[in-house]
Amino acid sequence: MHSSVKIRGMKKYFLARLIQLIPILFGITFLTFGMMQFAAGDAVDIIYEQAGSVAEEIKAAKRAELGLDQPFLIQYGRWLGGILTGDMGKSFISGKEVFETFADKLPATIELMLVSILLTIFIATPAGILAAVNQNRLIDYIIRTLSFVGNSMPNFFTGLLLIYFLTLKLNLLPIIGQSVVMPALTLTIAMGAKYTRQIRAVVLEELDKPYVMGARSRGVSELTILIKSVLRSTLIMIITLLALSMGSLLGGTAIVETIFMWDGVGKMAVDAILMRDYPLIQAYVVWMAIIYVLMNLVADLLYHWLDPRVRYGESS
Amino acid sequence: MKKFLATICAAGLLFTGCGGEKTSSTNDKTFTYGTVAYGVAMENVGTNPHESYSGWSTLRYGIGETLFKFNEHMELEAWLAESFEQVDDFTVKIKINDAAKFSNGKKVDGAAVKKCLEALIANHDRAPRDLKISSIEADGQFVTIKSAEKVPALLNYLSDPYGCIIDVEAGVNDNIVVGTGAYKAVKVTDTQIDLVANENYWGAVKPKMDKVIVKSITDGDTLTMAMQNGELDAVQGLPYSSLQLFSGDNYKISQVETSRVYQAAFNFKTPALQDLNVRRAISMAIDKENFCKVLLNGNGTPAIGAFPANLTFGGDKVHALPYDLDGAKKLLSDSGWNDSDGDGYVDKDGKNLELRWLTYTSRQELPLLAEAAQANLKKIGVKLNVNATDNYKTFLKSGDYDIFSKAIVTAPTGDPEYYFTSHIVPGAVDNAGFYDSEQIATLEDELHNTFGAANRSELAIKMSQQVLDDCALIYASHLRMSFVMKPNVEGFTAHPSDYYEIRPELDKK
Repeated sequence: MHSSVKIRGMKKYFLARLIQLIPILFGITFLTFGMMQFAAGDAVDIIYEQAGSVAEEIKAAKRAELGLDQPFLIQYGRWLGGILTGDMGKSFISGKEVFETFADKLPATIELMLVSILLTIFIATPAGILAAVNQNRLIDYIIRTLSFVGNSMPNFFTGLLLIYFLTLKLNLLPIIGQSVVMPALTLTIAMGAKYTRQIRAVVLEELDKPYVMGARSRGVSELTILIKSVLRSTLIMIITLLALSMGSLLGGTAIVETIFMWDGVGKMAVDAILMRDYPLIQAYVVWMAIIYVLMNLVADLLYHWLDPRVRYGESS
Repeated sequence: MKKFLATICAAGLLFTGCGGEKTSSTNDKTFTYGTVAYGVAMENVGTNPHESYSGWSTLRYGIGETLFKFNEHMELEAWLAESFEQVDDFTVKIKINDAAKFSNGKKVDGAAVKKCLEALIANHDRAPRDLKISSIEADGQFVTIKSAEKVPALLNYLSDPYGCIIDVEAGVNDNIVVGTGAYKAVKVTDTQIDLVANENYWGAVKPKMDKVIVKSITDGDTLTMAMQNGELDAVQGLPYSSLQLFSGDNYKISQVETSRVYQAAFNFKTPALQDLNVRRAISMAIDKENFCKVLLNGNGTPAIGAFPANLTFGGDKVHALPYDLDGAKKLLSDSGWNDSDGDGYVDKDGKNLELRWLTYTSRQELPLLAEAAQANLKKIGVKLNVNATDNYKTFLKSGDYDIFSKAIVTAPTGDPEYYFTSHIVPGAVDNAGFYDSEQIATLEDELHNTFGAANRSELAIKMSQQVLDDCALIYASHLRMSFVMKPNVEGFTAHPSDYYEIRPELDKK
């Protein structure tokens, strides 16, 4: 009886979040479409920029073909009508189906996201705990300094440093080979640094709590306290961070993708914006909105699973 | 330490299941080429020449060939065509080389060329307007093209990348077409084209590489370091600042002057610029030598007119005003522009000579030219306000500029008429300065009706000189294009057309 009530509650919450997605999607797609109208030039200007000089008649014919000669609301309405019937349209630039283009790029983005997240967890969790249990000792200072440096460096700089040292100086990895190691390491350095500091802070906070002192006074070993109690408490914080990181990584990391020629959705989105490829930009915006809502939803469900005191929609 | 890092990297590779670049049989001769000029942003992803700018990839990477090609002076030479006959002003009869074959082994005859050109006209957006073809007839190895109006540069237009001859009947599969080039595409993605030697290649020189990999690398630093690391055999599009890293014996560089010119058009609607003396003074104050040497790190050559020296109608066939600050100051003074209030700027009727220089940033050279012009003009007392924006079209529409600077390829098909009709004649779509010359209009009319390269060159020189005499534009520099390669690479040279990169002669010793 109790579990069926729980499942019903979860379903209701899940449904409510999905309904919330509708106005979010409508709002952001409308805003994006509007913002692109204010940007200088349209796809036709960009398409013919390379040709040097192109007669206005050719440009006008292209605009008519792409529907860019219509008023803004009609253009948006057409796009919305298409997407509601499952037609994401065709790219203005490549002429390929938007869905097909997205499906081509997504596996690379997911691969990069998964490897970066796993590497981050494997590095940041032990490093954060190690720093916390050795607070104000040499190892703590080293980890804190490294995480400070890692956190401060922008991704493009980290990527170039990795190329310089791991490839040019040590000749360990190729730059342009299709290996996920270099782009994943670049992302891991920044994320790992951030996670390490957060985990250290949460573990320190937990170690000061009365239940830990109680466990110690009962003779429970430090390792058991750390693994069975403290680590479990830090998981909620890690999940919050992960949900945000996964959301942003699934949106692609344009700079890292460009440096390592990783053919993912981030680079695709930047190219689409530069080329004013509205159907592709809109599809990307929809994807990002869905990802963020879903990631937050999954995080909420996990909070509740880890700590039943947390009600759906609350983080602690 | 190195061992430790190597272990971590190896573990990473195993863990992710993704190794480095997959290499084929060690006996294969593979050429790996990194370029900034391929990709979605260049609109040339794919190999179908009838789509957008994909023909550039077809031609550049040796997949397709055109009926005629350009030599290093941008003069036409036979390629798939063996010869041609200009039957009348509207008709040209072309004989296709009897040996020409598509990569699938099919013979290239008049019927195949006709089909290809008909598909080009039906599908391409720019080609029909350039070619103005009214009918095509095929007879054995001959193809006869009739145009609706006189098109003296028809053969030049047919040598544009969109004119690559492909086997239309074979269709387009996964962005791959069947061409006649020394290599055939086997895989085409947004970031890479994989090519293999065409075993049916008809040309006298057979392809020497087994495989060619063209990689799009848009980040200049990545491109530089990949070349330094030996992962690439050759690169195109290195940042100017990186070129000096490859000046030693470990690399070879091939450079060529292209017809891309950095120019600045005077707006004839600006009252001060309607005075020829003022335009001449400004032109004389631009130090082109130093701009090319210092700001472009030698990757440009000072321009005299719109066309570079390797064209029969370019270089010193025309003459421009020299760099002369004193002469410039005197011209301003002759027109009543003097620094009467001692603020460092010349003035007339109580107003300083202050001008707005509009340009954009997507070409790295243009903001540099604007800064150089600003510094140069200050020396003659002209205040220049630079507006370098990628929103420049809005300013062009509103007319809020006195000088508009841009980069333009003046002779993409080796013929001068395109530049004059697009930028110089009165009312031309890109005549940003509203330059209106009766002499130019008359000469253009003559050019439009003149056949034969020599006659057209002569007219082009007259027109270019007229533009310079009227001081309608300043021509600052021609772009010098550079290919960097390993010392064992042969047959890989930069071409002024920017079309032919992977050729049958390409080899690695």
